[in-house]
Amino acid sequence: MKPEHLIALDGSEGEGGGQVLRSSLSLSMITGTPFRIDRIRAKRAKPGLLRQHLTAVEAARAICGAKVEGAELGSSSLQFIPGPIQGGDYRFAIGSAGSCTLVLQTALPALWFADSASRISVSGGTHNQAAPPFDFLQRAWAPLLARMGIRQSLQLNRHGFYPAGGGEIVASIEPAGKPQPLDLCERGELLGVRGEALVAAVPVTVANRELDRLSAQLGAIERQIRELPAREGPGNVALVEVRYANVTEVLTAFGEKGRSAELVADDAGQQARLYMASSACVDEHLADQLALAIALAGSGSFTTTRVSGHLSTNIEVIEKFLPVEFTLTEQADAIKVSVA
Amino acid sequence: MRKTVVIGFLGTTLDNIGKSQQRWERWRPTVGLCQQDDLIVHRLELLHDSRMRGLAERVKHDIAAISPETEVCRTEVDLRNPWDFEEVYAALHDYARTYSFNTDEEDYLVHITTGTHVAQICWFLLTEAHYLPARLLQTSPPRKEKEDQRGTYAVIDLDLSRYDKIATRFAREHAETMSFLKSGIATRSPRFNRMIEQIERVAGRSKAPMLLIGPTGAGKSFLARRLYELKKSRRQLAGRFVEVNCATLRGDSAMSTLFGHVKGAFTGALTERAGLLRAADGGLLFLDEIGELGLDEQAMLLKAIEEKRFFPFGSDREVESEFQLIAGTHRDLKQWVAEGKFREDLYARINMWTFELPGLADRAEDIEPNLDFELARFAQEHGEQVRFNTEAKRKYLSFATSSDARWTGNFRELSASITRLATLAEAGRISEAGVDEEIDRLRRTWAGGDEAGEVEALLGEAAAELDLFDRMQLESVIRVCQQCHSLSEAGRKLFAMSRQEKAKANDADRLRKYLARFELDFARIRRQPAED
Repeated sequence: MKPEHLIALDGSEGEGGGQVLRSSLSLSMITGTPFRIDRIRAKRAKPGLLRQHLTAVEAARAICGAKVEGAELGSSSLQFIPGPIQGGDYRFAIGSAGSCTLVLQTALPALWFADSASRISVSGGTHNQAAPPFDFLQRAWAPLLARMGIRQSLQLNRHGFYPAGGGEIVASIEPAGKPQPLDLCERGELLGVRGEALVAAVPVTVANRELDRLSAQLGAIERQIRELPAREGPGNVALVEVRYANVTEVLTAFGEKGRSAELVADDAGQQARLYMASSACVDEHLADQLALAIALAGSGSFTTTRVSGHLSTNIEVIEKFLPVEFTLTEQADAIKVSVA
Repeated sequence: MRKTVVIGFLGTTLDNIGKSQQRWERWRPTVGLCQQDDLIVHRLELLHDSRMRGLAERVKHDIAAISPETEVCRTEVDLRNPWDFEEVYAALHDYARTYSFNTDEEDYLVHITTGTHVAQICWFLLTEAHYLPARLLQTSPPRKEKEDQRGTYAVIDLDLSRYDKIATRFAREHAETMSFLKSGIATRSPRFNRMIEQIERVAGRSKAPMLLIGPTGAGKSFLARRLYELKKSRRQLAGRFVEVNCATLRGDSAMSTLFGHVKGAFTGALTERAGLLRAADGGLLFLDEIGELGLDEQAMLLKAIEEKRFFPFGSDREVESEFQLIAGTHRDLKQWVAEGKFREDLYARINMWTFELPGLADRAEDIEPNLDFELARFAQEHGEQVRFNTEAKRKYLSFATSSDARWTGNFRELSASITRLATLAEAGRISEAGVDEEIDRLRRTWAGGDEAGEVEALLGEAAAELDLFDRMQLESVIRVCQQCHSLSEAGRKLFAMSRQEKAKANDADRLRKYLARFELDFARIRRQPAED
């Protein structure tokens, strides 16, 4: 491999070392461009690759038969030379190190470009802190991708919460190649807001308190309690689904030991209120994911609530792999992200 | 990629917090160590009692859920009493001995947080003694209620040199010890400094005898005493420092001085005597000029070193004494063994740690630091700080480090020289004139040839008891002997006049008898090694 074909990244810059790695893996597989990241998480307390990063690297390696160097715990450099993306049947058991959804976000875009259909099963945590929960993937992210021509389906076989894990998500993907452009700058009429509380091996009173609090914050909303089998727990998630004519957003907060039901609900409720108060189509987490999709399409745009550090870093990485240029335009109550 | 293998007990209390889902909300060390985001346990060797099989299976099942990379291997170890040190040590020792470690491909960590404190101690001992080629793994609970239940972990490497702060501490202590052994003299001779470094290391780790070889005045006795003080301060010795020059031990009294005697053991033995070996019990015995020890005493000494017991003179009951031995000599003991003058077995026993102390002439670079040290010592002893004038110091050092300065008496001689200079100094200043006088004095001493030194070397402290008359006569006799190849040749030369008057030439015998008065013989004079 000639060195000029190898994209060099600095893992100490910007935010979200894990996000940079996952985006790079997806883009490297899709474009066939090797990359190397140095100084991975150099400024962190535990520098170098952690377990959850390795699970993403391992999945990517399996999917394209990449040649990988430095895929070890604590490694500060990683070199990834991708091979052709292979469709097929994949199983990844990741335990509670990282999240099933993060592995899927790395693997699925590559499998859109595979030569044949794929089925991918990821077992471990499906609802983890610091990762989008399955509900977000299924209800907010997947429908937008479907609109862009991506043919995939996601199914949750069992919930897995941190730390016990034990959940499973299965995704089926038909190769569709390059996504169609998407312009998502008007969210349309508000169709409904629903508060949901998931409890597993956690008293149902916790769910009630969370929904009471969400109602108090957001006004008249639909309420749904999802009581899961105790063996899937312990786990608790409060989420708000906001449905507009053109887009659905899912805003989430996780219950944890020592954090009251009210605080959990306030967290999700606050995110929902800020989102609804803006005129943006997508919240910051969905913006991260959508940036990759419209870049792959070659053109498109969307409006988002704010430009997070994650998004700027992600855009920098995308621009290294793809011949695209992002434009950020400030609008009233939103920021427009467009690609040409 | 290398694999990480953890060996540890199932925590019958810490890992055992029920079957309900709420077990996930509390810290379980064995589960928690498989949940660390910067540690992958590829295999967990889980030791447990057969009565705890159920718990072990549950833990195994939970680990499979959270860490699919981890293979859990259960080993049932039944201990009647897990608080019994002997039993636990034996069980873990057997485990370590029979486990097939593959250190080329696997890294081992011993989890010490679970199991009894006795088990913890045994893991530590087995690891420290390298029965387990492992590092210690300690897990800790979350510090705050709200913190993640997986807790934290720390790997403890018993190779302390890997820890910067500890290594710095050791280096400082090492430097202090070295400085102590050198009495704070910043010696510059690389050969000497290297030797002191080795001695320091040996002194810290070994109780075996040491042999210090060097010319008289090189500081053997001084170093032995320093070693004793060092070992005492480190609590490696509790007893006394006992020093004896073997050249001063003669006849029956030699036996008695060293090994003691019982009442009536010989004429004049009116009371019992403990002897120096017993006085050194628990302490350090410095036998200077060990080469001068008689063969009988050598045999007794060897037994005393090897068996830590011996018979006092005239006694049929053994006594015990355990002491650290340091021997000193200026002889070539190997040569003496070859000639049957020194027991080979004793030599082998004391030749384990042999250090050659170079004479002062071989350590010219150390003369200046020693000179400063001697002035400081003089100040301490006499309450008067004496200094050299700059030019005077330059002149003295230039002479002292030149090849003219033979320093046959080594450090003792340097010390005497500085003491003379300091005593004669006017108003605390050593002047150039004073130095000139002292240089003259030293030159005169050395111009007299080797004899002054030779008498000292041959007779040891006994030399000091000679009248000047006898000493000068003996010096001349020794010089002649050294120039001759045989006793007869020396006799012919020494008695050249009187032998002509005798019918039968008996000059060899006359010389032998003369030398015997000083307990000397021709062979010993001839073997006196040249000071180099």
